Amino acid sequence: MTRNDPIKHFFIWPALIIVLLISIFPLVYSLTTSFMSMRLVPPTPSRFVGFGNYLDLLQNPRFWHVAGTTTLIAFISVGLQYVIGLSVALALNSRVPGEGIFRVSFLLPMLVAPVAVALIARQVLNPTMGPLNELMTALGFANLPFLTQTSWALGSIIAVEVWQWTPFVILMLLAGLQTLPDDVYEAAALENATPWQQFRDITFPMLLPISVAVVFIRLIESYKIIDTVFVMTGGGPGISTETLTLFAYQEGFKKFNLGYTSALSFLFLIVITVIGLVYLAVLKPYLEKHK
Amino acid sequence: MSVRTLKGKRRWLALGGCLIWLAFTFFPLYWVLITSFKTPIAVVGGPTYLPFVDFEPSLTAWSELLSGQRGEFFNTFLASTIIGLSAAVAATGIGAMAAYALVRFTFRFRLLSALIFVAIAFGGFLLGRHVFGFGQGISLIYAFVAALVLAVISSRFPLPGPELGNNDIVFWFVSQRMFPPIVAAFALYLMYTEMGKLGFKLVDSYIGLTFAYIAFSLPIVIWLMRDFFEALPVEVEEAAMVDNVPSWRIFFGIVLPMSKPGLIATFMITLAFVWNEFLFALFLTNSKWQTLPILVAGQNSQRGDEWWAISAAALVAIIPMMVMAGLLSRLMRSGLLLGAIK
Repeated sequence: MTRNDPIKHFFIWPALIIVLLISIFPLVYSLTTSFMSMRLVPPTPSRFVGFGNYLDLLQNPRFWHVAGTTTLIAFISVGLQYVIGLSVALALNSRVPGEGIFRVSFLLPMLVAPVAVALIARQVLNPTMGPLNELMTALGFANLPFLTQTSWALGSIIAVEVWQWTPFVILMLLAGLQTLPDDVYEAAALENATPWQQFRDITFPMLLPISVAVVFIRLIESYKIIDTVFVMTGGGPGISTETLTLFAYQEGFKKFNLGYTSALSFLFLIVITVIGLVYLAVLKPYLEKHK
Repeated sequence: MSVRTLKGKRRWLALGGCLIWLAFTFFPLYWVLITSFKTPIAVVGGPTYLPFVDFEPSLTAWSELLSGQRGEFFNTFLASTIIGLSAAVAATGIGAMAAYALVRFTFRFRLLSALIFVAIAFGGFLLGRHVFGFGQGISLIYAFVAALVLAVISSRFPLPGPELGNNDIVFWFVSQRMFPPIVAAFALYLMYTEMGKLGFKLVDSYIGLTFAYIAFSLPIVIWLMRDFFEALPVEVEEAAMVDNVPSWRIFFGIVLPMSKPGLIATFMITLAFVWNEFLFALFLTNSKWQTLPILVAGQNSQRGDEWWAISAAALVAIIPMMVMAGLLSRLMRSGLLLGAIK
């Protein structure tokens, strides 16, 4: 039951004002600037160009390339995070030996600064001084260009994302698994359901709501990726691993092309919103079916 | 023994899988740790794995780092700590208050009031900027105040249109997390520059960065703390209300002490987020209040592949959060956090 008391304003306004200030300004500012041609270096007077910036961007192959790269990284890494995270969470939930130690140590990567993770990855993947290439050579493979060839560089970034964020998926799914009631499994055991049947017909459907939420959060967050890429490849080789945020950073902070950057960030916001809505719309029937 | 416990061969398969994942998780951390104790020659000579066995540990990297040859580590560490702690404390406090209000009190307003706010914020900004020719900073302040005042006044009147309640406010807060931070970071940088022209130095200042971090942590704090407050028994508060204890004393005297575990967990999550944050620090600081992620990221481009030094630098950013994770897991084991993460 909620109650009414004038003091509620005192409780909510500090948070409301701060978030309004920080969220409404960027919104107002970027949206108005995105319809203008505006540069700081060299300083040019701003003028209204309507949808000019948006059209420029949509015709720029680099934008499509960058959006595609970001989507690729986000979807593959979140997919892997979910599969690995679910397997590990299931194992931990069924009390593998040493579960207590695993539980704590599996969470560590989540707390490491992404910048530091990227630097560690650069060392491990280094062609001459890194351990991974030595292992590859020992196993008879050629020295692999982990960060200097497009497909390997993308793979490396995805591997780093998986390393860092699978713990989040494990944490959330484990919490979800622990809330599932035992009696369903007891009934299934009486019916002699195989472990696979139990997983397919009980665990997975009952875990679906939290799975959807976890994947949603990770997907949105993955689209914002910049620090890992910034340090690991700088968007290279060429622009082949550049992500949306990195592209916006280059345009905004290196070229100070304000109108263009604002339009870009709005397109970015639209892309994220559309993906989020499509994702939720696609999954809604399944969620309702299992309710 | 639970029904869900695996038996026989499957149990060992699961253990094998977990061990592989453990190795994958730990190897990079182990690698950075031993590299920070290698000499430059040992690093360049190719990979070595065991201290004392295939390389002699040395403190070169650490003594270089601590003596300040690698940039202002001490100051940056201090800046990161001050900003991280104050932003996390403030965000947890303000967010907990808002979350409590959203759980226990009734909020009702019309969609139209919210639309009035947005319309006046936009219109006022454009008007001030292009018609009256004010600077961006001034037009923003005027537009914001006008929009806020008019929206609050308008909510006093019975406006037509759909009515919004507590859940809509929560949704609005949480949806702020969806916002790509680049949109905000870049615009904030420009807003701070404008404010600087008016005499408030916000770029590369304590207040500027902390404020941005508070705002960006609030959605997650409100989300976590709302779940937590909802799980608290309302009876205690009702008993206090019968005794005519004022609401603010119920919150600060009863509710907050009861929710210590949730507050600690939320505080730590916020701290980790702020400590590791890169994009805002990149845009909003340049020297004095630079945080560790920026300094660490710069190590590579400044000096090239000097991995011994880079490893030590990375560890400075990693270790405090590891210590915190240790504390957090002890809290979890002692059952203090039961119910904090739903």
